[in-house]
Amino acid sequence: MKRIPIILDGDPGHDDAIAWVLANASPMLDIRAVTSCCGNQTIEKTTYNALRICTLIGLHAPFAMGRKRPLVSEPIIAPTVHGQSGLDGPALPEPDFKPLELDAVTLMAKVLRESAEPVTLVPTGPLTNIAALLLAHPELKGRIAHISLMGGGIAFGNWTPAAEFNILVDPEAARIVFESGIPITMAGLDVTERALVYPEDFERIRAVGNPVARVVADWLEFFYGFHRSMGYPGAPVHDAVAVAALVRPEILTMKPYYVQVETEGDFCKGATVADRFGVLGHAPNTNVILDIDRNGFVDLLVEAAEHYNKTEVGA
Amino acid sequence: MNRFPVIIDCDPGVDDAVAILLAKQLPELDVRAITAVAGNVEAEKTYANAHKILHVANWDVPVFMGAAKPLIGAQITATGIHGVDGLGGVDVPGAVIPPAPQEAAWDAIYREAVAAKGELVLIAVGPLTNLAIAFGKYRALPELIKRIVIMGGAATLGNTTPAAEFNIYADPEAAEMVFQSGVPVHMVGLDVTLKSYLTAAEVDEIGAFGSEQAKFFHSILQNVLAFSTKLGLPGVSMHDPAAVLYAVEESLFTAEEAGVRVECKGRITRGKTVTDLYSDAQFPEKNAVVVTGVDRTAFVARVKELLKEY
Repeated sequence: MKRIPIILDGDPGHDDAIAWVLANASPMLDIRAVTSCCGNQTIEKTTYNALRICTLIGLHAPFAMGRKRPLVSEPIIAPTVHGQSGLDGPALPEPDFKPLELDAVTLMAKVLRESAEPVTLVPTGPLTNIAALLLAHPELKGRIAHISLMGGGIAFGNWTPAAEFNILVDPEAARIVFESGIPITMAGLDVTERALVYPEDFERIRAVGNPVARVVADWLEFFYGFHRSMGYPGAPVHDAVAVAALVRPEILTMKPYYVQVETEGDFCKGATVADRFGVLGHAPNTNVILDIDRNGFVDLLVEAAEHYNKTEVGA
Repeated sequence: MNRFPVIIDCDPGVDDAVAILLAKQLPELDVRAITAVAGNVEAEKTYANAHKILHVANWDVPVFMGAAKPLIGAQITATGIHGVDGLGGVDVPGAVIPPAPQEAAWDAIYREAVAAKGELVLIAVGPLTNLAIAFGKYRALPELIKRIVIMGGAATLGNTTPAAEFNIYADPEAAEMVFQSGVPVHMVGLDVTLKSYLTAAEVDEIGAFGSEQAKFFHSILQNVLAFSTKLGLPGVSMHDPAAVLYAVEESLFTAEEAGVRVECKGRITRGKTVTDLYSDAQFPEKNAVVVTGVDRTAFVARVKELLKEY
């Protein structure tokens, strides 16, 4: 089987972490690089978290740290959701490797240039690094096969009534990405708030028994803490849906729409707007994921946890 | 039966016409006045159309002329859907259009509000310009209005732009003034009106009732029906009639309290009604009730029943 070459870019974050556990477990994906971005926490914290996650799951792809702050906007962080460290909860191993002395954009550009086939980007944080890449290396656009991202939502927001966190943090970057012409698959709130993992599922994952499975279960417990207080029946594992879109698209329902990003406004900054009735007459630029087979999603996470029975891991 | 005083503020408009035909048959509604506003077509036409519809309905209600343009900027119309005359090109022989009364729509709204001693309900199914001007002029008005039922906006989508519904997009500042007026606003938006549709067969069935009113109903809907089919919709949305029926029979609908604000500045979201209905983040105030669902079978049955009475 031909594996899909990908670059993981995220701001871990519990759901980024679980997305990476899933990606690293899949025989369908070939992770060519990992990059950190600021979002859920400061770039220093998300980078440290990213290194600890990679160490835990034995993911030693080239790693580089991303930009310190969004392109234009002031940084926003999410300690209420992810804790002060950005990845509170279970103890994690200290990093057993260091980031490269390259910027995230330089590493991504290198991977794109050196790859025999176009590479898929999987951003699960604000789109700062991806936009910076497109701005600095327009010549490499054709080397990007596809962007499977977590962000936005065509019907509602979470961090504001109209905007989802990742897009709100860097709306200008998101606008650059959505206007790039590169095919986008959007795992937004429309689907990710249905990608709920219930407390009984945490136990299924924990029962897999290896160290990664136990940490994933603990992450879910922690992540659910915030969501339980908001009335959710489970933990919405947002970022893992962007990976599921690559490894198990058959559990997802998608519709192509022309999606734009609002960068201004009193209430709508960071909103992703889909042209549902085609009033703009513009060809679709985004496959918007609208629904998920929840049981199939949980099964996928359990299978991913089982993968780590076979591998040596750093915990 | 709980009969209450009502003013219908509208921009007829094909679905406004249906809303008025239904309103006449609802004994709960004590319709004190109809106020016309620029919207689907120009204000002179919406004023004239209100008279034409009342002539068809054989109903005597005072009609007042309202704003000819939004609070800020130029009017947009929806002649592609409603026809350049606003009634799908359907003539109403014998209708007499009197000159507009001296009293403006906003003054009539205030006068009726005072007379109704706090019981007046506004059913506003066009751009909210007249209401905004009334609130701007009369400081005491909010305490005198029991509630406002609007057709406009949507929690999750748009139609005139990807983000905004026509009535709100046509005058976003007016809409924001109304949502911020302090009077509870019941928002019958696209979320529910797209579900409150009549199929072509149901429209035919009503046309076959045979009364002048039923035939008028059937004729004016043909253009909109064609437009809706082209969009891939299952039928013609009864936007404004849904607001009228909601005002009387809430039990046909599902609705939730929410905070709603109107985006007046966005680059691509101007005119979007932003609700906190589905988001973790909440507005500080629940200033609205957002109507999201309808029992379509019961809704269609009620529309048929009311139109059959003609």
